[in-house]
Amino acid sequence: MTRGHRSFHRLLWPVLALIVGLGFTMALVLRPPPEPPAGVESKTRVNARMPEPAK
Amino acid sequence: MSAGFQAVQWNRKKIVYDAILLGCVTLFIGTFMTVGALRNPPADAPTWINLRIKAFGACAFTMLTIILMIGPLARLSPRFLPLLYNRRHFGVLTFLVALVHAYSVVDWFAVQGAMGDLMSEMTGSPDYGKFIGFPIKALGLTGLTIMFLLAATSHDFWLAFLTPRVWKALHMALYVAYGVLVMHVALGLMQEDRRVFIPLLLGGSFALVTALHIAAAWRERESAQSGEWIAVGPPASIPDKRARIVTAGGERIAVFRDGDQIGALSNVCAHQNGPIGEGCILNGLVTCPWHGYEYRLEDGCAPPPFTEKLATYRVRIRDGIVEIDPNALPPGTKAAITL
Repeated sequence: MTRGHRSFHRLLWPVLALIVGLGFTMALVLRPPPEPPAGVESKTRVNARMPEPAK
Repeated sequence: MSAGFQAVQWNRKKIVYDAILLGCVTLFIGTFMTVGALRNPPADAPTWINLRIKAFGACAFTMLTIILMIGPLARLSPRFLPLLYNRRHFGVLTFLVALVHAYSVVDWFAVQGAMGDLMSEMTGSPDYGKFIGFPIKALGLTGLTIMFLLAATSHDFWLAFLTPRVWKALHMALYVAYGVLVMHVALGLMQEDRRVFIPLLLGGSFALVTALHIAAAWRERESAQSGEWIAVGPPASIPDKRARIVTAGGERIAVFRDGDQIGALSNVCAHQNGPIGEGCILNGLVTCPWHGYEYRLEDGCAPPPFTEKLATYRVRIRDGIVEIDPNALPPGTKAAITL
């Protein structure tokens, strides 16, 4: 690894770490409240995109 | 030595490494699927696929976290160097595991007849302006694309073709992929599943990778005192026919001992920027661990007829301590000393 690579690495990593750390914290703080336990099966994010079954 | 293309040379260590790697991945996914199926028995095909999505996703993320830990761990302790030598195999396998995760997501939609087309799926979402609710599939696809690029260019052919400088810069994108994938999980699974261990594991993994990088950088910073001779330690602290690596002004220097001869060379191999200091002295020559390029310890020159040269550094012994001058001498300058 040359000096140029390391300089880039030293610049990239802290900036990226700060952005991701902030993003992770916001994602944790802004999580929606838990759904009431009404015997409903928990939905995954993938499931949530699916249309409801026909009644 | 010729800088032409060289085929990857397989050896027993690489095969053992890959076998252990494959065994660990199989064990991880097998355990995840078994425990998951026992706790909540899947009732239908989509539920099985959902479990597979989680198993392969968790495995790929764990592997990526470990890959990013290997570099700083190897700088903190040479015990981790064997992990570093075959890190490319680790990376390629991580991409393949992530690919199965992505394929399983597609499979999940396919078995329910809900397949959309990729373009409208990626561009048609109204949620790109949101933070919570941001389309996690776009984040996942970005991470996967970066991992594909890195896996596809991981072979030595690409290192030689792109040049070490471009290749290394390209492969730094793994950090971007990791950041994107942390957010993929934080905005995806962590929003849907309220169990406390998910943010703990995700945040803990990210914090561990960050802490290790800071620790490795801090250690190098401590040993770097530009302009002054750098203390390496007593001669016996340098393993015979091996090196200790010190840092000066952002450059790594490999300080080798061959019996009673001590010499300091640039840590960057003239062939493909391999880490000379992680190699050893074979047949009286410093040998790069990547492709076996050889240099004389006394002056950093490759033996005739080869013409590669490394920068050398002045060495002295003061109060029983090996010290090196951090100012590099012109490549090929004689600088090693004999005790």
